[in-house]
Amino acid sequence: MTDEHHLSHPSPAQYVKIAVGLAVLTAIEVALFYINNALGLGWINTAALLTLAFFKFFVVVGWYMHIRYEKAAVSRFFIFGFVLAFSLYGVVLIGLGVLAATR
Amino acid sequence: MTAASHEVSEHHDEHESTGVENRKLAMWAFLSSEFLFFGALITNYLLYSSRTFEQGPTPAEIYDIPFTSVSSFVLLMSSLTMVLAHNALSRGDQGATRTWLLATAMLGSVFLAGQVFEFTEFITVQGMTMQTNPAASAFFVLTGFHGTHVAIGVIMLLSLFGLSKRMGGLTDKRFLNLELVGLYWHFVDIIWIVIFTVVYLLTAVPGAGG
Repeated sequence: MTDEHHLSHPSPAQYVKIAVGLAVLTAIEVALFYINNALGLGWINTAALLTLAFFKFFVVVGWYMHIRYEKAAVSRFFIFGFVLAFSLYGVVLIGLGVLAATR
Repeated sequence: MTAASHEVSEHHDEHESTGVENRKLAMWAFLSSEFLFFGALITNYLLYSSRTFEQGPTPAEIYDIPFTSVSSFVLLMSSLTMVLAHNALSRGDQGATRTWLLATAMLGSVFLAGQVFEFTEFITVQGMTMQTNPAASAFFVLTGFHGTHVAIGVIMLLSLFGLSKRMGGLTDKRFLNLELVGLYWHFVDIIWIVIFTVVYLLTAVPGAGG
């Protein structure tokens, strides 16, 4: 990420390559779902699926929404909202999960 | 519009104190606040999805994972066509811009049609409505709001397409409009990336999934 726009935007061919990568990651996610159904991978499945989803998320934000090429003010806005939501609802889920477990 | 004129448009914002055009910054701020909105709805669903209810199926028991996977792929590809529309306009290629805008709107419509089909299946075949249990209610509210966002995006895309068609192309001044619609569209896509994984793949009951 830069304030000075040194990075040039991807070409159409590069956008297509990124889309192919995203489609492959989605296929891996679906495959993992079925593998987990058959073998019961447990926390490994959860960790792998969340990692893949976050990777896809950041690729779309970085390359398709061009946040890598934007000024820092933009990325700060966006990251602030994301981190705030993630922390707030993470606390809610953990808190209520603990409450439910102690009932 | 030529590449040179786009070069000019990209630097119109230099007089803003943040260095970013105000409308663009407002869009980023809006999208940032949308994380809290969808975060609340996803959290609400997750809190109910692990519970058992006396009445009727929960969404996790009746998901059609192959169907939703195809819908997810369609929405993901619409992000590609959207960014290609942006790229085409930055090169001044008005024809390609219109083609990619229309393709994005069509893919968004296919996704919406899929959602309508899914809802119809859940309600009429599986017997799961908003009133069946809290998990079903949370699911319909979450995916319904996401679908509403997609529908608004499709309307904005078609408006841009119509404007371009009527005026013989999007002017330099309208470049920012396309950029803002693009940001909104990609945001709708990233929210679905999270919903597909967290709401569908991680909560689906083993054995469900089509």
